[in-house]
Amino acid sequence: MNNYFIEIGNKSIQKNGQQVCGDVFMSRKLQEEGRSVAVLSDGLGSGIKANVLATMTASMAMNFTVENQPIERSAQSIRNTLPVDNDRKINYATFTILDIEYDGETTILEYGNPQFLVFRAINSLELKDIKESTDSELRISHFKAQKEDRIILFSDGVSQSGMGRADMPFGWDWDDLKEFISKKLESDPQISAQKLSDIIVNRAYLNDSLKAKDDITCSVIYFRDPRNMIICTGPPYKMDRDKSMIKILEDFNGAKIICGGTTAQIVSRELDREIEVDIFSGDGDLPPVSEIEGFDLVTEGILTLGRVSDWLENRSTDSINYKSPAGKIIKLFLKNDIINFLVGTKINEAHQDPALPVELEIRRNVVKKIAKILDEKYLKEVHIQYI
Amino acid sequence: MTEEKIYKVQICTGTLCHVMGGAELPALEDHLPEEIKSKVKVKGMVCANYCTETNLKPPFVLINGELMSEASIDKIIHYIQNCEKNDTFK
Repeated sequence: MNNYFIEIGNKSIQKNGQQVCGDVFMSRKLQEEGRSVAVLSDGLGSGIKANVLATMTASMAMNFTVENQPIERSAQSIRNTLPVDNDRKINYATFTILDIEYDGETTILEYGNPQFLVFRAINSLELKDIKESTDSELRISHFKAQKEDRIILFSDGVSQSGMGRADMPFGWDWDDLKEFISKKLESDPQISAQKLSDIIVNRAYLNDSLKAKDDITCSVIYFRDPRNMIICTGPPYKMDRDKSMIKILEDFNGAKIICGGTTAQIVSRELDREIEVDIFSGDGDLPPVSEIEGFDLVTEGILTLGRVSDWLENRSTDSINYKSPAGKIIKLFLKNDIINFLVGTKINEAHQDPALPVELEIRRNVVKKIAKILDEKYLKEVHIQYI
Repeated sequence: MTEEKIYKVQICTGTLCHVMGGAELPALEDHLPEEIKSKVKVKGMVCANYCTETNLKPPFVLINGELMSEASIDKIIHYIQNCEKNDTFK
């Protein structure tokens, strides 16, 4: 059975003048069970009240689904729990629940949100497998996703954006919206889930002339092959392992980084490729990067890794200097799903001299720290191999 | 002949050289006096293990292949100016 990597992206903009968004999106990976659950809920109205209702709804939906409750029963429990608006006689929040198995089997339950879309390449699919529900307001669909499929969820802030404008009196026309997405996918077939949701929400925001009339949310679920990278740092403990290190690097399919001067020299020597140092590419604190043919990035070792660890831990991703050698490594970390560390365990004795003006950490410890942050904070799949 | 004199300055970019003062060396170009500015070419090089294989102190640079230890911007400029004065260009 072929398993997909499921990439999830979400973007929300709150209604003009509100402090928080009344749409709530949650997703959870259940790695052991091989499935992911995602929920989008739109609270009635906007602001804090809507946010509280939507959060409550989404949490309930998430927990029921994670506990493998039958999806229809969960939906009914939620509806029975939700308060009903006195004036309008409707429930206080709408929701969409997605239960996705990693082999592509997907169940989607909708209550009140605009209909979700499924894009296969640039075409939106018409789903026929819709289960009749005893509750007429619930819609349950089931389909098997293929590689490169995308599921797109919206709150009504997207479909109603621009409403009242002369050119779109009833909001963003459904067919126009589909065509907009289709064109984006055509021009950028590999577009990430996050980027696509950003683009759709920003366009809806633009339809509203940058004053959102309602909370706007779009979530994208993208089925694809995982992106792999390898980062090789440090010379092997014994010199006779150099060749096996090179073999691992040569055989690897994905992005490749070399971190460390000596490591770069081993690679250069074994593969007989020149190292080209770009002396002006340092950032003042870190030594510059170099180039070796066939590798995406070659940097200095321990100082750069130390900085990577510091930034990953203490900075948000939008305050990182991506031109710095450390930033370049982080950029590749963020772009990939599975990160392999190939760590040589030889200790550089010259770095252990107490007379040095700065303390140089032992590589293995820094790598362990980075791996932990990538796993826990950035939800990456991380493997460490010592050599 | 004299027209083609170029001083190729290679700066070691290894960790040790970097922390021992080599970090400032890429700025060499900005500090060169006018009379030698056009004659100096700054490049990087990967660590050539001078730090472990000699008893000299980092940071290291090579000027036309000549090793200089404990290099600084001033020291490099003096060296080149001396070469110019004594016409000992190599």
